[in-house]
Amino acid sequence: MSVAAEKKRKGGFLKREFGDPERRTAYYMVMPAVLIIFIVAFFPIMYAMVLSLTDSTVVQTGPFVGFANYVEMLQNPDFLEGLINTAAFTVISVTLEFLIGLGIALAINQAFKGRGLVRAAILVPWAFPTVISAVMWRLMFQDQVGVINYVVNTLGIISQPILSDRTLLLIAAIGVDVWKTTPFMALLLLAGLQTISADVYEAARVDGANIFQRFFRITLPLLKGTILVAVLFRTLDSYRIFDLFWAMSNRELESLSTFVYKSVRVSQLLFAQGNAASVFIFVTSFLLALFFIYGLGMQTSTEE
Amino acid sequence: MTQQFYGKTNMPGSRLFDRRAFLKMGGAGLAGAALLGAAGCGGGGGAFNGEITMGFGREPSGTLQKLIDQFNKQNKDIKVAWRNMPVDTGQYFDQLRTQFQAQDGSLTLIAGDVVWPAQFAANSYIIDLSDRFTEDMRSKFLEGPVESNTYEGKVYGVPWFTDAGLLYYRKDLLEKAGFSGPPATWDELKEQAQKVMQDQGTKIGHVFQGAEYEGGTVNGLEFINSHGGQVLDPGDASKVIIDSPESVAGLETEYSMVTDGVTPQAVSTYQEPECEAPFLGGDAVFCRNWPYMYSLAGTGEFIKPDVIDIAPLPAGDGGESVSVPGGWNFFINAFAEQEAQDAAWEFLQYMTAPEQQKAYTLGGSYLPTLTALYDDPEVKETLPTVGVAGEALKNAVPRPVSPVYSDMSLKMQEEFNSSLGGDVEPQEAISTLQTELQKIADQAPS
Repeated sequence: MSVAAEKKRKGGFLKREFGDPERRTAYYMVMPAVLIIFIVAFFPIMYAMVLSLTDSTVVQTGPFVGFANYVEMLQNPDFLEGLINTAAFTVISVTLEFLIGLGIALAINQAFKGRGLVRAAILVPWAFPTVISAVMWRLMFQDQVGVINYVVNTLGIISQPILSDRTLLLIAAIGVDVWKTTPFMALLLLAGLQTISADVYEAARVDGANIFQRFFRITLPLLKGTILVAVLFRTLDSYRIFDLFWAMSNRELESLSTFVYKSVRVSQLLFAQGNAASVFIFVTSFLLALFFIYGLGMQTSTEE
Repeated sequence: MTQQFYGKTNMPGSRLFDRRAFLKMGGAGLAGAALLGAAGCGGGGGAFNGEITMGFGREPSGTLQKLIDQFNKQNKDIKVAWRNMPVDTGQYFDQLRTQFQAQDGSLTLIAGDVVWPAQFAANSYIIDLSDRFTEDMRSKFLEGPVESNTYEGKVYGVPWFTDAGLLYYRKDLLEKAGFSGPPATWDELKEQAQKVMQDQGTKIGHVFQGAEYEGGTVNGLEFINSHGGQVLDPGDASKVIIDSPESVAGLETEYSMVTDGVTPQAVSTYQEPECEAPFLGGDAVFCRNWPYMYSLAGTGEFIKPDVIDIAPLPAGDGGESVSVPGGWNFFINAFAEQEAQDAAWEFLQYMTAPEQQKAYTLGGSYLPTLTALYDDPEVKETLPTVGVAGEALKNAVPRPVSPVYSDMSLKMQEEFNSSLGGDVEPQEAISTLQTELQKIADQAPS
């Protein structure tokens, strides 16, 4: 045992790493996890990337065609519609959710009677499965029995049926998403707010800082980490939007994800483009996450 | 705590060995699972044991199960099991395609949608039945459904039961307004609807399915076909000929339903349930729907069947009444073994024979595919829809029979819906379709 260990210690990096029994044990320990990650995550992603560079159909892998699928995809009006809808949906809904969520978090962070009840009640929309709330809202927007459609038509705000206009449908989808996920945002921000010690506020008050100074100089900077995590979560979530669009618009509203589904599962000819689009979604959301981590300085661990 | 842990791992003691053994076991387990999976996929290659599986969605009346049980009792050497497949045809299609890609022959007999034959046949997923399903046998079936099962001159499926678009109308309202019968043309329909709406305050004239889904394609095609327009060249399925004045007139008529105030603007979001509600709720004069709706009349709050009547769909200017049929057919899996395919053929013949078709028609209110059953007195009495549907099915024009139909339908849904929603002019929608559909047709496997 000790002789073998001696021998191994003389080698290069590999031998140094694997020679030490303790290190070796560590490698053994993580190996199953690495293997599983390789099988379920790394391999499929790489395979999808390779497939997206070939002219494949559902039935067989085709010849290498370089970036032709991406070029075709970018010229496909359905893809562009999906991209524009997804981008607009993500930016608008996450912004609104953040602003409203922050307001709610600040409000329920105060001590008042029945605070526990309000905190629980506020989470109700978020507790609904998305598909169910999407179908429920669709009924409210519908022209025959829909209460919202009836009200806006009667008041003369909107003359046409909401569901038959794509722009109105997108606005409606944003509204439903804000209704549904603002509580989630508020909850995350509230958790962040509660980690800020009351002492800091007291000190600021003693120094004569007014409410705005306290908010912009203390609350926001100390909340930055939580905000970035919450906004990144929501951004990636909205960017992948599928269920809400699919169920609420009865498959009519296009997003990047619905484009991928239609291409890969429904169409028999767009498989390659759908593959390219799924890689596009992966890469762009990866870049988004990188931007949050490096561009905005989001902390990914608690180590300083 | 940390110290203690390190101390233990450093020692070549029993504990360390245990962990290693555990890891090895884990690795072996993973490899084993992979092998098992592989074995599972490759399994089923044994000798044919007389058992075949049939795939179909849901059959609420229970008649199908009864017929299968009866067959199993009568036949000692063939046993049929029914595997439940997704009710949504799109999902069913998806699942089948995945199974076919894996060359899975376990689903020997497939009861499938009328638009599938060409798509499956072009990939050799289902077998050519031309020799078994002879010319003589075919002549006993309705022409439309057989035509839908024909791809490049060969027959790939046997029609089981069918479906036709019908015009439901309120005979009480029309009578009161002084009309002697249902409209024969779309213009007459609008005229009658407007008069009834004006005189009797009925809210809606006509409802149909205009949403962006398969039903939207069917409805759009009915307007186009009833004006004499066609999608594919009847002589050459790879040639798109939709760009014609007739097709444009079809979509113009469809859109005019909205602009003339006969149909609500929201029709571009309607599927079948959104049509049932206003018509059976008594708020609409006309409704285009499938035969199933008749059995809903009189249930719950809905209007009674005696104020409703059914007619073939109206004709367009210079065209004739046309119905785009739905329906279900039997296909035999090409990956199944020869003996299993033969057994499936036996069961298929049993299911489509007059006796079983009649039982199925009466039990579940489905439209039979054998012509003779449309004159059967018992069938006629139990199912009033059969009389009119038989008429409508004589003028059935199938949806484009193409191996790339799914893609064509996606485009047609989109353009028909945009035209109905007033986003594009009918002429523009048709010219877009000419280019796009031709592009799709050119990519069809040959």
